[in-house]
Amino acid sequence: MMDGTCPLALLAAGTEAKVADIRAGKGMQARLFGMGFCPDARVKVQCADRGSIIVSVGDARYALSRGIAMKILVGCAKETA
Amino acid sequence: MSDTAKLVFGAVLGVLYLVIGLLQMVGAVVGPLPGLDALSLTGNLFGGFVLLVVGAVFIAGVRKLAAGSGEGAIFVSVGFLLSVAFGLVELLALCALGLDAYLVGEWAEWSVADAVNPLLYLAVLGAVGFLAWGRTFLRGLTAA
Amino acid sequence: MKREIRIALTGNPNVGKTTLFNALTGSRQHVGNWPGVTVEKKTGKASRNGCEFEVVDLPGTYSLTAYSADEVVARDFILDEKPDVVVQVVDATNLERNLYLTTQLAELRTPIVVALNMADMAEAQGDPIDYRRLSAFLEIPVVRTVGTRGEGLQDLLDAAIREAETSPHHEHTIGYGNEVETLIATLVDALRTDADLSGRYPLRWLAVKLLEGDENVLAMVRGGAAFPRVEGVLSSIDADEYEAAMADKRYEAISAVLPQVRKASFREMSPSDMVDRVVTDRYLGIPIFLALMWGAFELTFTVATPFMTAIDTVVAWLAEFVAGSIEPAWLASLLGDGIIGGVGSVLIFLPNIFILFLILAILEDSGYLARAAFIMDRPLYALGLPGKSFVPMLVGFGCNVPAIMATRSIEGEKDRLLTILVNPFMSCSARLPVYILFAGVFFPEQAGSVVFFLYVLGIAVAIASAKLFRSTILPGEASPFVMEMPPYRIPTAKTALLHMWSRGSMYIRKAGTIILAGVLVVWVLASFPFGVEYGGAESFAGMIGHVLEPLVAPLGFDWKVAVALIFGFIAKEIVVGSLGTLYGTGEETLPTALLADPGLSAATALALMVFVLLYTPCVAALGVIRKETGSWKWTGFSVAYGLVVAWILAFVVGHGAGLFMGGM
Ligand SMILES: Nc1nc2c(ncn2[C@@H]2O[C@H](COP(=O)(O)OP(=O)(O)O)[C@@H](O)[C@H]2O)c(=O)[nH]1
Ligand SMILES: [Mg+2]
Repeated sequence: MMDGTCPLALLAAGTEAKVADIRAGKGMQARLFGMGFCPDARVKVQCADRGSIIVSVGDARYALSRGIAMKILVGCAKETA
Repeated sequence: MSDTAKLVFGAVLGVLYLVIGLLQMVGAVVGPLPGLDALSLTGNLFGGFVLLVVGAVFIAGVRKLAAGSGEGAIFVSVGFLLSVAFGLVELLALCALGLDAYLVGEWAEWSVADAVNPLLYLAVLGAVGFLAWGRTFLRGLTAA
Repeated sequence: MKREIRIALTGNPNVGKTTLFNALTGSRQHVGNWPGVTVEKKTGKASRNGCEFEVVDLPGTYSLTAYSADEVVARDFILDEKPDVVVQVVDATNLERNLYLTTQLAELRTPIVVALNMADMAEAQGDPIDYRRLSAFLEIPVVRTVGTRGEGLQDLLDAAIREAETSPHHEHTIGYGNEVETLIATLVDALRTDADLSGRYPLRWLAVKLLEGDENVLAMVRGGAAFPRVEGVLSSIDADEYEAAMADKRYEAISAVLPQVRKASFREMSPSDMVDRVVTDRYLGIPIFLALMWGAFELTFTVATPFMTAIDTVVAWLAEFVAGSIEPAWLASLLGDGIIGGVGSVLIFLPNIFILFLILAILEDSGYLARAAFIMDRPLYALGLPGKSFVPMLVGFGCNVPAIMATRSIEGEKDRLLTILVNPFMSCSARLPVYILFAGVFFPEQAGSVVFFLYVLGIAVAIASAKLFRSTILPGEASPFVMEMPPYRIPTAKTALLHMWSRGSMYIRKAGTIILAGVLVVWVLASFPFGVEYGGAESFAGMIGHVLEPLVAPLGFDWKVAVALIFGFIAKEIVVGSLGTLYGTGEETLPTALLADPGLSAATALALMVFVLLYTPCVAALGVIRKETGSWKWTGFSVAYGLVVAWILAFVVGHGAGLFMGGM
């Protein structure tokens, strides 16, 4: 499954992926870039049990609501245990 | 110390917290239970709830450890941390009430024995676990 | 040589700007882990080598395209006030993201110094940064600092002096690739025709921002001479695409530098992540949170008791001393009954407030509070409140004034307004004395449960109001939740105490100003016209009470209660003190007097407590509501809504309880 993209919100906890595209509104998009979510950034879902998810990008951890996580498209790359 | 030791210790603490927490909650609802004076239950419903939560964290950790998941060790460590934290809360409360009794001149009627409660004495066990495993855990946590 | 240098501290949230600011200026103020907590522009002074510095602490921001109110403040300051040197505080453990802002700042052509903060943490993690090489790559001075230990401050100021004195400043920009650069060049040409803009901002920066689709910059250009040509260029391209491509280029430039300045290290799963697994666990997360909250309140209320006893003793002694030794009698009455009694009844809650704020500071500095907000996001979202409203709500239990100020980290205007409007229903500690008095007198057996009920009622009203406002005056959904989870840290005593002080001192200031004034007004109204019995029916206070009595009579309140409620508007604690005055007793004997009053039944007391819980925010809270909403309309609404809700619920609760207990 290297080719397809899917929203970050749909990944299970512990999954790693690469950001493919961001489709958020103007201001939010700039904010997400500033936070480190930009194409090709490696992200990892740390926690996905709740309304929001915790994602790590580089050395930072963020809580994102599902709404926003739906707008971050990632390549469905490899899964780690 | 090994994970097995941690597992056993965590399981013992978990069961103690759960059972005593349950007894305290039952006692809080139906009134003091006979024959349990040695446990110094307080009849505080929320205190019972806290005991249950700490117990649940230990048991969750023990179950994960038993299932071979490394995550379990963290649950047990957090359990120690919570155990010590609530013990400290109760210790501070105890000192404060003692000081207050002294200030208002009721020092004579105040005794430590009355103020002891499960969160306090179970924390002694928790502290043992914390000293054994928790300190390296805390150091690792804040360094990274 | 310049004698006075203005430096602005900027950077991502939580990188230690405020900590450095405090270390540089020695000022006392908030230091915390809550993202975006630096909401006010704080300034301070420092000096070094004969140079005077004015230091400004700016709110955290991720990029120069402003999104929240905080970020607008930060960006506008740098853009419009043009500080002599911009010091970007960078978190050494999080270099990649932090440098993204650096690339944007560099385009502004202002002198920049990078403070590589948290260097201690990076070193402890075995990932030290070669800051000299970083400086060489960026062509920006980089200074190693450790804010918490005050390391590197002198070097930082020296670098700032050097930067302020070097001019002109060359641009250190990154290239965006041929296609984008051509567009930038075209835009720069067009912008040059707008003399006003080109005098104020670097043209290249404007062009870059326009390509990124920055609304604020577009608004600046709109109406200017360059607009038609700019619009021509912009309409021919797909700006969305460029924004991503440019962000990409910036990160590309950064990742080219990173391996040169640090050993690439990738941690699989940090202990911080593992703890997150526990405290955000699907089943255990909320119970752990509730247990910790119970601990916080247990500490707040028990540990405070000896301190309260001590304050009470001192105040009582002072009042007695004054009453017995000062002549003439009216002065003794003013000082004793009025000032000492009134202000004393407020000061007694200082221990509660300070302990609650200390615990919150510890939870916040440790990083747990951000997790709590994460856990509470879903339940709050269901109620129409943003997850970030969680901390303001919690602080509201201490005092609504800092709570309402803490709403500044909430992004959406509507979300923020909503949080502000429902905040006063969180029962602040000023209301507690009223509960303690009445619950203690009328419900001696169940005092604890009654007080608990009031807290829950407050929360319930806040929730119901949020729901109501969402479906009427503030329609829409809570804005999406984006929050940084700072790494766990062991809070230092110093930062926690400072943090506690910055919030708690507001309360002392309030006691010294508004409450003191309020207490004087109460005393005057109760003592005049000259010669009346203090607080009697013929005094001004009595007259006001009689006028208002019909309004509250359905609730079972008489004129004395009406007067006390009016005074409680100044600060709710005053209700107790004024009742003492009006019943003509000290606070010692007030319980007996209340019990002896045939007009007061247990049901009425309950209604009164409910009324005090809900009716209108106090003057200090209204002051911040006015300031934060910038609108008298919303301030007025807050008063009116509170009064109506209080009246209705007091009526329902009072009469409901009356049915059970008899005698309303
Ligand atoms: N270890 C370490 N911690 C720091 C340093 N500077 C700040 N901190 C901590 O980082 C947290 C956030 O700092 P703060 O000044 O509020 O960040 P701001 O949001 O940028 O103003 C606080 O808990 C500080 O104690 C540092 O140099 N080293
Ligand atoms: Mg700050």
